[in-house]
Amino acid sequence: MVERPDGPTAPGALARCPGAFARAWAKAVSGTSYLPMTQAQLEALLQRLTERLAAALAAEPFDLRVGHQVGAELVAAHITSAEGLGRTVEVVQLRLLRDLGLVGEDIEDRLARLLATVATGYARALRDRTLDEQESIRRAVMVARAEAERALRDSEARFRHQATHDPLTDLPNRTLFTERLAAAIESPGRGADRVGVCFLDLDRFQVINDSLGHQIGDGLLVAVADRLRRALGEHLVARLGGDEFVILVERTAGTDDVVKVAEAALAAVGEPALVDGHELTVSASIGIVECPVDGTSPVDLMRAADATLHWAKSAGGARWSLFDADRNRQELARYALSAAIPAALERGEFYLDYQPLTSLRDGTVLGVEALVRWRHPALGVLRPDRFIGLAEETGLIVPLGSWVLAEACREAATWPAAGAAAPFVSVNLAVRQVRRPGLVREVHAVLERTGLPPERLQLEVTESTMMSADEEPVRALRVLADLGVRIAIDDFGTGYCNLAYLRELPVTELKVAGEFVAGLSASADDPTSRTDERILASLVSLAHALNLTVTAEGVETAGQADRLRAIGCDAAQGWHFGRPAPAAQFLDRLA
Amino acid sequence: MQRPDWAPDTIDIERPSVARMYDYYLGGSHNFAADRATARAMVDAVPEAPLMAQANRAFLRRAVHFLAEAGVRQFLDIGSGIPTVGNVHEIAQRIDPAARVVYVDVDPVAVAHSREILSGNDRATVIQEDLRRPERILAHPEVTGMLDLSQPVAVMIVAVLHFVPDADRPAEILRTLREALAPGSYLTLSQASDDARNDAGERADAEAVYRRTDSPLVIRSRAELTSLFDGFELVDPGVVWVPQWRPETPESAEDAEKAVFIGGVGRLGG
Repeated sequence: MVERPDGPTAPGALARCPGAFARAWAKAVSGTSYLPMTQAQLEALLQRLTERLAAALAAEPFDLRVGHQVGAELVAAHITSAEGLGRTVEVVQLRLLRDLGLVGEDIEDRLARLLATVATGYARALRDRTLDEQESIRRAVMVARAEAERALRDSEARFRHQATHDPLTDLPNRTLFTERLAAAIESPGRGADRVGVCFLDLDRFQVINDSLGHQIGDGLLVAVADRLRRALGEHLVARLGGDEFVILVERTAGTDDVVKVAEAALAAVGEPALVDGHELTVSASIGIVECPVDGTSPVDLMRAADATLHWAKSAGGARWSLFDADRNRQELARYALSAAIPAALERGEFYLDYQPLTSLRDGTVLGVEALVRWRHPALGVLRPDRFIGLAEETGLIVPLGSWVLAEACREAATWPAAGAAAPFVSVNLAVRQVRRPGLVREVHAVLERTGLPPERLQLEVTESTMMSADEEPVRALRVLADLGVRIAIDDFGTGYCNLAYLRELPVTELKVAGEFVAGLSASADDPTSRTDERILASLVSLAHALNLTVTAEGVETAGQADRLRAIGCDAAQGWHFGRPAPAAQFLDRLA
Repeated sequence: MQRPDWAPDTIDIERPSVARMYDYYLGGSHNFAADRATARAMVDAVPEAPLMAQANRAFLRRAVHFLAEAGVRQFLDIGSGIPTVGNVHEIAQRIDPAARVVYVDVDPVAVAHSREILSGNDRATVIQEDLRRPERILAHPEVTGMLDLSQPVAVMIVAVLHFVPDADRPAEILRTLREALAPGSYLTLSQASDDARNDAGERADAEAVYRRTDSPLVIRSRAELTSLFDGFELVDPGVVWVPQWRPETPESAEDAEKAVFIGGVGRLGG
């Protein structure tokens, strides 16, 4: 900093009263640059310098160093402009000798030489000061740049952390996990040619959220995250969202390495956690995938781990499952099939075959069961066991079942009565269809539209549909029964039907499951066979007591048919009486 | 492209800085070619510009001196710029070495330079902050660590407000500061004014020069500046051309309107 002329270093300066010359000098230089002092202080400073110059001019020997010092002092006092020097030279040259009354033989010479050293001293000091100031401002720039860069790095690091971590648990998030997984797969290090992933999901976490609130749920997630982090420190544990966590296991030698990690994770999650005064115990399910990095991709791996997690879940949770490529392929194929159902419905790829229900008394065809087929463009004709289960899982059974009902009624309405009444058509209803509100309206509308008399429609439902605690399905079926629609219980005997309850139900027929009929194919002397025959016989007599007819399913031989006829069974269905076929075939036979 | 919020400003010495231009006007060499070129353009437009800066700096010196003599021992100098000659802490600490000073500037180079100058002075510090965010200044740990806001503080906003457009609500900035101050505190303001100058071309030229910096110029009238002292009692002689504010000699107040800067000091009553 600038040395203060009026500072403690120059206490006596103020005491001297500035003369006319010093005042003129002060006036000349003020305004040439900013002077950090009062006019009085400036005059005092210049008075002191004036006295030094005067002394130098008179001194023997003549000492030029004083001129340098005076020049330097002017700069130190921040008289730093070119004009400051110019005016100083001018005022000293014009007035110093005269104002101070200085005389001498060589005084003019001395003044010229002294003034030259003042200018030299001034210029040197100003040059040094300028260089110092330039250096100092440049240093400030470097410091500021370094600080800005550090701040940028810090904020980038902070920003990067925010972008790659989950704010709730501070675990790495999906972004970071995906990066690390991609790096592990795409640029594996030496000896890192296999990789594993554990996809973890808490069991019934939603129940905790719903019953204790999200705050407790979040607290539990934080506790779980802490344990996972502690138990699996060396492996990357990330939270993908919700209660989903994932663990990256690098450099595996085989599935065992990942299974060990999964077991450690399950143990860590399973410890009771105290969250806000609640002691919570949760379990988790884990899907494990472990494979060579060669030939897989992050997306494939995560998809496989996700699928495997669902196997662990559907097996009851609190366990790990290991990825199985065959099982996965099958599931993918099933998934692809189920996904294709809506389009197949639209394109008319489904059609119906019919299997006769034949009277055991006189051999007439009483009715036919409609069986849906899918003419798949790539897989050929598919039987219902390939796609009905899927349709039931996904809910697509509702549109598919509606199509079957409508199509069966449409076709049946065109069948001519041959001699006696035309056969009824029997259509299977899935649980979801029966439970859906609007079933009555739908059936009613179909009958109306097709003109099929209600008594020529039979709806087959399962025992469990009827036995549900929900009364609505039974009410709906009763309305339909009152309308004249036949209601059959399909696969009777395989569920847990309360026989006494049958009396209360709007049922007209029991279809006895093929398992019982299969027993009749053995010799009549076989004890098991005799037992099955007795069960069937009592079923039939019970049904008749309740005013229900009985149709036996899966009848494959004449022998079975004879024994069923002998115990009074009303009708039969099975290969012995006709395989499922297009309507035209049995219509030909009727004619 | 707009830099994201989290990215600090870059340090670009090719872009003129008003702090370093001011240093140039005062005769300093803490400036770069771009600063000097812009400052020279300003001198071409308004030849008295260096004298205005000097007059303003002298006003700051007299104001600090006045405040220190009035017993104020804490100073908050916002928009302090390149602290070259005649700094607040030099003036105040000469009167009382215990005086405390916090400098605030938005220019990172000015702040780095101030920090170097202040190293070793444990009663003066500097923070990088924007006048337009007074609540952040007041809450800054360096500020709360250095100044006791329950005691009087002199807030200096000298030759800065003309870089704060009305859109940034200077009155609200000052109110926020005022509400944080103890009774007996002071506010010193000065800024460029064109009350005495009717040359529209000159004003337009000056504004054009400062559009080259990050800090465009906003000229205000004496009435406007006076209204910014809302809540403070102006000490004599009120808001005047800065050379007229308590001049040391009668001559130094001559042709005061040429200084272009108007300024004043207000006291917060209790």
